[in-house]
Amino acid sequence: MLMNIILFLLAAGVPYYLVLERSQKLNSEKIFLISGFLLLCAIVIASFVEAQYSGLLVILALLSAIFSIYKATKTTNFYKFGYYLLFINAPFFMLFIREQGVLYSLSLLITLAGVYSIAKHYDKYYGSANYHGISGTTLATPYVGAFLTVYLITLALYPPFPNALFLLSNMIKEETTLLWYIVVVVVFFGNFLVAMRVMPKTVFGTPNTNLHYVDLTSKEKIMHFMIIIALLGLSIIGFKGAIA
Amino acid sequence: MEKIILLIPGIPLVIAFILIFVSKKEHIPKVSIMLSSMIALLGLYGTYHVITTDEPIHGLGGLFVFNELSAILVPYVAILGLVIRKYATKYMWDEPGYKRFFILLNFIFSAIYMLVMSNNLVILALAWQLMSISLYLLVSFNVASKSAVKNGSWTMLIHKAADLLFILAVILTYQTFGSVDLGQLSQTWLEMSKNPVENPTIFVIGLLFLVAAMMKSAIVPFHIWLPYTSEAPTPVSALMHAGVVNVGGILLNKLAFLLLLTPAVLNIAFVIGLFTAIFASVLMLVVPDIKRSLGYSTAGQMGYMIMEVGLGAFSLAIYHLMVHGIFKATLFLESGGLIRYARHDPNIPQRLSYKLFWEEKTEHKSNKTFNLIALFTILPLLIFIGVKMVLSEEFFEFNAAIVILAFGWLTGTQLFLSFFKVSRSDSIKVILALVSSFIIILFTYEFIGLALEHFIYGEHALLFYGAATLNVTIIMSMVALAAIMIIGWLFMYKQHFVHIQKSERPKRSRWLFYKLLAKEAYVSDFFIKYIKIFKKG
Repeated sequence: MLMNIILFLLAAGVPYYLVLERSQKLNSEKIFLISGFLLLCAIVIASFVEAQYSGLLVILALLSAIFSIYKATKTTNFYKFGYYLLFINAPFFMLFIREQGVLYSLSLLITLAGVYSIAKHYDKYYGSANYHGISGTTLATPYVGAFLTVYLITLALYPPFPNALFLLSNMIKEETTLLWYIVVVVVFFGNFLVAMRVMPKTVFGTPNTNLHYVDLTSKEKIMHFMIIIALLGLSIIGFKGAIA
Repeated sequence: MEKIILLIPGIPLVIAFILIFVSKKEHIPKVSIMLSSMIALLGLYGTYHVITTDEPIHGLGGLFVFNELSAILVPYVAILGLVIRKYATKYMWDEPGYKRFFILLNFIFSAIYMLVMSNNLVILALAWQLMSISLYLLVSFNVASKSAVKNGSWTMLIHKAADLLFILAVILTYQTFGSVDLGQLSQTWLEMSKNPVENPTIFVIGLLFLVAAMMKSAIVPFHIWLPYTSEAPTPVSALMHAGVVNVGGILLNKLAFLLLLTPAVLNIAFVIGLFTAIFASVLMLVVPDIKRSLGYSTAGQMGYMIMEVGLGAFSLAIYHLMVHGIFKATLFLESGGLIRYARHDPNIPQRLSYKLFWEEKTEHKSNKTFNLIALFTILPLLIFIGVKMVLSEEFFEFNAAIVILAFGWLTGTQLFLSFFKVSRSDSIKVILALVSSFIIILFTYEFIGLALEHFIYGEHALLFYGAATLNVTIIMSMVALAAIMIIGWLFMYKQHFVHIQKSERPKRSRWLFYKLLAKEAYVSDFFIKYIKIFKKG
């Protein structure tokens, strides 16, 4: 039980809402990294420990997820967007069978690493990771637009990317309860609404004439390409799991 | 060797991957068209194989199948795809994102082939979702346009809901029947249909699949996404109206044996399909925006398609979606040429019927009302029965058959209308043209409908008609049909044969009715008001 509570604390964004959010010293980038690290710890621990979460913990994680969906629809910062998505998906981490839950969270983390890289790119060339005023990247910086579109589609739980495949695989194999259905519907739409909301604000739209757009460098392209390769690798595992 | 045909869904993905590395713009369509031609050839070879051997092609671990349904739909999609690609080659040339367009186009074709050829519910679910995301990116292709992107989001929202329902239906299917293999499931469902089924879960599964199909096929009340996608590039509109919205009909055909167990779902499909057909067709006439009008026209046709499924005429729904698809694709792809002509000639657009009969246009004499009603009501009815009796001896065995014939008649009326709009003449030329075209339509409907029925479902087709428990007696059908005809023809007579005073003001009730329709029954307003999340985007 203690282990379950520890995993819950690591994955469900509770430290963020109770501690990190109140801290004046931590900026959103650091919170993103800390939250990602906490989830990574949870993934590693969950790989070794058999966890069976109580309904109460799942309900708490779901409430945290709903609150995170609300917060994510308000933000226009890539870092914040990233860690809210971690918390939105926490109920899946707890609800799915161990291996699949771990793989789902891992693919989420890898996707968010891509989003983090885009945020860093924004930070470097536009002065902040705020995406509100930098619309039309598809037209002005096609590589940023293409990679960001892939990440957002992945986060919105669409195939052929791994999150969707692990989700599908779990949904088919999992024993269902009413709570299970509620979680699936909330998180399924939560991820979608949050991810799709970013698209019209940054990927789509008319380029801002006051900005000098800079596309990805070769080094950055290779890094993003590797992230996509990693996602496709996980997709193959997810696909095998879904049809098994 | 024939198993190579099962690679068809993967070929567009290969094309998309190759296109990423093609740097010269001129080479993009060449690569795309050349490799797509290969798909068309493979599809035709597959059709030939299925027809000659009477054996479907299974493979890739049983995940894909090239059966009778694929044999019809894959070449259809492939040839349509070739035409659209060829058209897009020049049409999209000056658009920013030329390469992006062809890559996305290949993604959506891959999803369509996957959907048609899947033999596993998980693959079907993946294809179902892949199509949603590809469509979203294509509808929002004009990324600089705020309204195009916003309408793309609307499309996506409805499609995401359809995806969720579909996945839930797959979960319930697996839990109830213990398999996701469609071939195996179809056998199980066929066996089960021999005895009465009283499991409410099966009804829920059927209903979930039906609603998911309705959402993607723009059936009321989920139709709101389709009329607002007109900002998509013309080739995308053609593809959407000719292919993507039809997936509801394709899905229900793939699950036809499941629907044998759920007659109530078939009845729901019939009622909602009928309502959509009427509602969307009326809105088509009223909305002022011509592109939105085309959107409602497609929604109306999708209503017919779902209605046909509701009657158990599954194969006819396939025929309908193909015919309508070709018609709509032609309409969209031809629109640019027509606008070009119109810029040079103020009398454009002219109708073929206009050219044929304009010269002989004469004033109508109103004392011929009775003769006209008799001619245009009784004669079609007689032709109707005659055609059916010539082609099928089992005419009086199916209740549904008579109602299905009404589709033929309704399609015919659209043709008649186009003639009437230009001619008030009672010349023998007009009458002969009307009657002969009517006979052709009926024969085609009946002949191809029956041929398809035999090809796809064989003796099982009769089971579907039996499952559609809509209990309409022959007399009721005939009376209803005659009533529809009389009302229809009287309406046309009033519209086109009687001079209407322009100064006559409409009654208040009529005006309110018109306003309701012109506002699209406030359905879109309702969605916009209560689902605000995308408005913020």
